[in-house]
Amino acid sequence: MIHELRSQSAKIICLGVHPGIIQSVLDYDYLCGREAPSIVAIIAHGRKQERFFWGEREVALPVHASLSEIDESTRHAITAILNVLSARRVLESSLEALTLLPNLMLLDIFAEGVPEQHALQLARAAKSQKVIIVGPASVGVLLPGTMKLGAIGGTQAPQIEKAKISAAGDTAVISTSGGMVNEIIHTVTANGLGVSMAVALGGERFPTLTPAEAFLLAEADTKTRRIVYFGELGGADEYDIAQLIAQKKITKDVIAYIAGTVAELFETPPQFGHAGAMANTQQETASAKKEILRSVNVAVVDTFGELAALVVRIAKEHPFVPGLQARTIGARYRRPIASHVSGDVAGDVQLLGNDLLMTVESHSVASLTLSMLLGEPVHHKKLVDFTDYVLRLLVDHGPYVSGAVNTIVAARAGKDLVSSLAAGLLTIGPRFGGAINEAAACWLRGTTEQQLAPEFVESFTSKGGIIPGIGHKKYRIEQPDPRVMALLQFASNSNEDRYTKFALSVQAVTTAKKGNLILNVDGAIAAVLLDLLESELGYTKQQLESLVQAEFFNALFVISRSIGFTAHFIDQRRHDEGLFRLGANDVAYLG
Amino acid sequence: MPRKRLSEFRAKTIVHHALTMPYMGWSIDAEDDIDRQLQTVQSDAERFVVKVDQGIKGRFKKGLVLLNVAPQGLGDAVRRLADKGYRWCLVEPMAAHAQAEERYLAISHTRDGLFLTANRNGGIDVEGNAHTMTSTRLGETTDWASIVAQTGFNEHSLRQLMQVYNDNHCTLLEINPYYMHWKGPRLLDLAMEVDDTAEQLVAGWSEDDFRSTTVKALTAEERAVMQLAAKSPASFTLEVMNPDGAVFLLLSGGGASIVVADEVYNRGYGAVLANYGEYSGNPNQQETYLYARAVLSLLLRSTAPQKVLFIGGAVANFTDISSTFGGIIQALNEVAGELRRQAVKVYVRRGGPRQEAGLAMIGKVLDEHGLLGAVHDPSTPLTTAVDEALQKVTL
Repeated sequence: MIHELRSQSAKIICLGVHPGIIQSVLDYDYLCGREAPSIVAIIAHGRKQERFFWGEREVALPVHASLSEIDESTRHAITAILNVLSARRVLESSLEALTLLPNLMLLDIFAEGVPEQHALQLARAAKSQKVIIVGPASVGVLLPGTMKLGAIGGTQAPQIEKAKISAAGDTAVISTSGGMVNEIIHTVTANGLGVSMAVALGGERFPTLTPAEAFLLAEADTKTRRIVYFGELGGADEYDIAQLIAQKKITKDVIAYIAGTVAELFETPPQFGHAGAMANTQQETASAKKEILRSVNVAVVDTFGELAALVVRIAKEHPFVPGLQARTIGARYRRPIASHVSGDVAGDVQLLGNDLLMTVESHSVASLTLSMLLGEPVHHKKLVDFTDYVLRLLVDHGPYVSGAVNTIVAARAGKDLVSSLAAGLLTIGPRFGGAINEAAACWLRGTTEQQLAPEFVESFTSKGGIIPGIGHKKYRIEQPDPRVMALLQFASNSNEDRYTKFALSVQAVTTAKKGNLILNVDGAIAAVLLDLLESELGYTKQQLESLVQAEFFNALFVISRSIGFTAHFIDQRRHDEGLFRLGANDVAYLG
Repeated sequence: MPRKRLSEFRAKTIVHHALTMPYMGWSIDAEDDIDRQLQTVQSDAERFVVKVDQGIKGRFKKGLVLLNVAPQGLGDAVRRLADKGYRWCLVEPMAAHAQAEERYLAISHTRDGLFLTANRNGGIDVEGNAHTMTSTRLGETTDWASIVAQTGFNEHSLRQLMQVYNDNHCTLLEINPYYMHWKGPRLLDLAMEVDDTAEQLVAGWSEDDFRSTTVKALTAEERAVMQLAAKSPASFTLEVMNPDGAVFLLLSGGGASIVVADEVYNRGYGAVLANYGEYSGNPNQQETYLYARAVLSLLLRSTAPQKVLFIGGAVANFTDISSTFGGIIQALNEVAGELRRQAVKVYVRRGGPRQEAGLAMIGKVLDEHGLLGAVHDPSTPLTTAVDEALQKVTL
């Protein structure tokens, strides 16, 4: 199993956010010379990305609300999970990971205070699904040169840089204590040996990966020549280890320290730092465990000075060459703002990853607009043509609509261009011009949840009956809106127009009730654009949802109509008629 | 800390309810008005049992169970037990039975599942009857008939006990002794130990039902650390072992703290070890200050002639050394004069994130105050640094 993990590039998902630990994993990856971070995604609420340093540069790790939101190919590539969620969420989240990640090999649980029943349930799941689950209360698993799964090895770049853990040595470190695993790693590497693997089992009563199981992993690992073990009073794990050694199932040299002789001072010993550290019988005392391990020729040390001396002696015969650190990390500065659209590189402005002029010259206005809104260069002809058509189509709808009226009123009040334009733009909202986005949200939900049009329509009836993207004042089913006809010319896409078809099936239901409840321009733009983004760019449901959340679909209206409002402003200025005022007959006084 | 004993009162309430049997018992807090509480004892019984209810094993042999108490003698009985340093008592009607009828039954679990241990000969000497003790794994293949025959409980009741055990996240359920009455089992003494991390998941008990076995009153410092631990995501423990000890520990990390305490004990300094405890989980500076203040306050009170303070731990993974030491330094500064007058020497050994800054800072402060024993980084093995501090103490 360890060999398998070593043979491929680590791909980790972090359940929960622990910035210090995640950063330390990225620092380790970077210092080892990896091309990209081993953590490929974070599962958490509230954000879409979290920024971390990759060397001195900042990178964003994608954040998803749940594992199921991550696309299947990414999920198939995941080999390890770092679970830093709170104790009460450990069981459910870990079991979900086992279900959704078919190639998962290793899962580490950081939280302390996970109920014993939950830990035992996880141990059963680990066995049946053949996944190594380490913890709870584990600071991590370290496979030098392959992965650092957790805080293990340190959380500060300088500490990791000096730790000589970027290449695999031949000594496995297995410890029930998180602090002591790092202490022993340090003792091993500072005295001339290298670490092949290090596992912090967690000091709980029932560690999911037992010490004996960890020993078997180290025994099977070809890089490991010897095991350094830190155990504590309480439990009977050392008896299992002794038995494995007696049965020759563990043949590698073992050095052990068993903590807890101090308990002999007490009539009723206290609960020491770890939940598992409590001897209930004479057999569970530190002295008895040392005895049983010594009986099978384990080198049991009584002090860490002894351990260091032993390591020095072994290192004389098997010296470890840590090799050169691939990289170093210099000074870092966290930028208050991050942008995927544009920024300076060496003093020149770049737009979408290229020099501003080069980008501008290779795009039409429509393709540049679309590219900037999507944050990536887009040249797909049909999509660009559609955008171009929409930008032209939405440019104006007469001086009667509320946004244009407000622009005109402001202009006639003597306000400047920007104020008058803002007056018009500020009118855009749920009742005026803001429906494309809501329509997109509706078609997306209805289609991906495979709702039937009648029940979809029904769900609105209970909420007041207005469906975004449906209904027109003038046009009816018998007298269709020519603009909608033109927009639908862009249908026949490779996703079989599923959003447009859904929107039309909704129209079939609503027009049966009332003739003017037809698919309108907003609804048609939303449907066709969803189809195009899915067909031409291969956008996933999550990507489309995040576009809806970002109000992308309304952006096209805002941009296009700004031209119309500006035109109305200049028109008013050119033919100045003075302040606009309603007459007494224009207001019905109901007082 | 995960495994805790519930009061016998709570445990019996839970078990009787599950077995649909009425429970007659009254929990008395000796620190409150005893006579007023005893007015709630409504029973026709002529004789009562009064026993200490603080999760103590072997109560009978320790004289913590008073039998045949008349109703008017209950107050005195409770006060007699309270005088021995106990706070919680349980009052129950006496159940007349012959000692030969007493049986033993317990449920516990291991990695392999639930186990029922039973003995027809229960009671205070059950340890002496180990040869007649039987243990059966409870699961799909359980031979219920034989357990029923052995225990006298019917299958439904046994399944109810299993349910109680699982639902309450028990780690031990021990009934010793009980006897069979024609109306059903009579549970005389009952102990229930639970996994305290499950508090949010259970309905039967809460934190208030935990009983501490300690007789001695906690020091103000220990209480302060308990309060600190209750309010922080980091963890803190402090236990006074010898108030007039010479070796004081201010440690970080569950594993390292035992290693350090072990070293003190292994070198023969166990008798002068003043305290055990640790902080871990990257506490903030203010919290470390409060913790350090508690340890220093104990240290200053000790009458030992030559005192040392050992500050440290292993090479931390994520605890910030500079920040946590900042809190310790703040506490040291407050009492530096008094520490110097008492000729206290401070020894430090620590590693981890920002260790250079943290170690340099504390070294400078200790030197300025004339308290410096030694400051070591991880190039000195942890136990070697402890030995150096111990040299300063004469036994």
